[in-house]
Amino acid sequence: MTPTTDKRERASASNTPPLKNLNDQLGRVTRRFVRPGGAQRGAGRMVVALLLAMALFTFLNPRVFLSPINLQNIAVAAPEIGIIAIAMMLVMLTGGIDLSLVAIANFSAITISTLHTAIAATNPDLANSLGFVIVLAGIGAGMLGGAFNGFLVSVVGITPILATLATMQIYNGIAIVWTGGSTLYGAPTVLGAIGQAALANVPVLFIIFVITAILVAVLVNRTALGRMIQLEGANPVAARYSAIPTRAVLMKTYTVGGMLAGLAGVLFLARNPTASADYGSSYVLLVIVIAVLGGTNPTGGFASVFGVVLATLTLQVVSSGFTAIRLSSYEYAIAQGVILIAVMILDSVMSTRTRRPPKTTPPPGVATPTSDTSLIRT
Amino acid sequence: MELARKLRGTNNEGVLALVLLGLIVAMSIANPTFFTLNTGFSILRSSIVPVIFALGVLIVVITGGIDVSFAAIAIFAGYSTVTFCLSAGFDPGLPGIFLIAIGVGAALGLINGVVIARFNLPTLIVTLGTQGIFFGAMYTYVGATYYADLPKSMADLATSNLFDITTDIGRAYLHVLVVPVLVLCLAVGWMLKRTMFGRSLYAIGGDIEAARRAGFQVKRTQISVYMLVGALAAIAGVIHIVLSRSANPRDLVGGELDIIAAVILGGAAIFGGRGSVTGTVLGVLLVQVIKNSLLLVGVPSAWLRTAVGVLLVVGVGIQAIAARRDARRMRVIQDLDTEQKTEQELAS
Repeated sequence: MTPTTDKRERASASNTPPLKNLNDQLGRVTRRFVRPGGAQRGAGRMVVALLLAMALFTFLNPRVFLSPINLQNIAVAAPEIGIIAIAMMLVMLTGGIDLSLVAIANFSAITISTLHTAIAATNPDLANSLGFVIVLAGIGAGMLGGAFNGFLVSVVGITPILATLATMQIYNGIAIVWTGGSTLYGAPTVLGAIGQAALANVPVLFIIFVITAILVAVLVNRTALGRMIQLEGANPVAARYSAIPTRAVLMKTYTVGGMLAGLAGVLFLARNPTASADYGSSYVLLVIVIAVLGGTNPTGGFASVFGVVLATLTLQVVSSGFTAIRLSSYEYAIAQGVILIAVMILDSVMSTRTRRPPKTTPPPGVATPTSDTSLIRT
Repeated sequence: MELARKLRGTNNEGVLALVLLGLIVAMSIANPTFFTLNTGFSILRSSIVPVIFALGVLIVVITGGIDVSFAAIAIFAGYSTVTFCLSAGFDPGLPGIFLIAIGVGAALGLINGVVIARFNLPTLIVTLGTQGIFFGAMYTYVGATYYADLPKSMADLATSNLFDITTDIGRAYLHVLVVPVLVLCLAVGWMLKRTMFGRSLYAIGGDIEAARRAGFQVKRTQISVYMLVGALAAIAGVIHIVLSRSANPRDLVGGELDIIAAVILGGAAIFGGRGSVTGTVLGVLLVQVIKNSLLLVGVPSAWLRTAVGVLLVVGVGIQAIAARRDARRMRVIQDLDTEQKTEQELAS
């Protein structure tokens, strides 16, 4: 699609005046930002929201909010939530939902911490040199958790919300038994180093987040699997008749989701070398909020990775801004809920406004009863 | 065949009852202390609050929605009522307390209902949002202190028992609040089966568009449903505070999923249109009995979450596989139909 349009543009560029050409190009770019269809709307909306939030808190308390430490804190705290939100977006793209992602992330962190502690007990040097392998084992544990979700959803045929509700309890329960309900200490030193490191004042954790987002964006927008995931979410029946291997697609989606959650577990440990079964239990709500704010359609088919990244940053900004102007975390919970519902209402109002004209062509209020009675009489 | 089908029930209540019975028998053989009046009464007592919650969740699930804000509504209504009574220094008596709480609960439910019905939004995500709002609002505007002393009428209710029998292994007592729960179960069951409102819930859950065209007031019904759930949750919240003899704003929230799991186990379909009070009560009892028996067998209570999760996977998995088999069978019948038709066409 893109090569042909490019060719046409180049052809038209050769025999049109440069000013008109520039104007056209400007128009195209503006249109792409201003009037985007479907998923792009989330990204555009979140750019505005992010700038608004930044401006608001800068205005309210510039000394605290704009301090480099605060900005760095935002960049360090955002990745773990953001990556789980991207995983949630991916699953929501198929029309499902994954409530077990946070439990999987904790499970991965606990796996890494336990492995490291077990090896370090006999040979600390070996444990540190094996750091990378241990981290991979943690991500593998996440993949396994995701694959089990995928199995329940695709092969057994359980509704995603119920399947992941159950596996959330299972993973969480196993984690509680495993840790005895206490917090584990100890993680490979590699992780601690990554958590502390920064490239040109940008924390490495944030760079990992951006790279992950780009990879997922490529997966969704540029691969066959990504296209099949989108089609599956947009219309499962049509997808089945288009010979899309529904089971395999769902299986892969949930496995990738679990893998991303496992990666988030690694980031938990990189930020703070402790692991526990109930870490981040409030993330389950937060992550759904972020995914929906970022333009993900909860019924499937449409999503934007860029939008989710922006939504993550916006909510982090709001959260740290609330702290900067000394509001409690409970007020932040209210704000989260209000933002979520306000955005969904706005979306619903906008979509009904654009959809209304064809609906009102046959006047519904008066015409239907008469036609109904006439049908009954005949 | 007819009798077997009747015993099995429309929502597998019979199977559930059988599983429950089997579990009780097995537990009684494994550990004789299980089969006592004490255990039975304590299971009943521990099911009081979950059963009321489950009734509310059942109503929502039948309409095809899901509500995860009910626990936040319950603690909001119960806690703010107690705070109000204590700070105003007067005791309106039990009916007054319940009325205030129900009013608060229904008002919060109204918010859910209006947002969901007016804008056609996904119920899970709306109630996740309102859950945060309600909980945050309670902490910010009502307070976060723990009250160890309740108003006198509530404190008195906490210690009144229906039966108080001393058996050879200790006192067995059945709390008086079992009675209102029973009344609520009967009332909800009657409403679902015998009233037009109940019918409309099933109709909306079965196919919302079909219900609209059949003349049901879909939006109005949806709003009433969420108000009803808010009211039920408020009752459960007050009862929880009475039973725990203290008002702790941190209670209840976090256990929503266990209740939803119990309702689904009880045969309600998550897509709506199916579910019964009998099944729901059996589902809650099953979860409670398993909790109790795990402890008695000596399984650490940490496994509880996992056990409920596994139970849910098995229960829902069986339903899913059965549904798929039914769908396949229907398709086979359809194929036969089309074959016959083509044959007839060929013959003519």
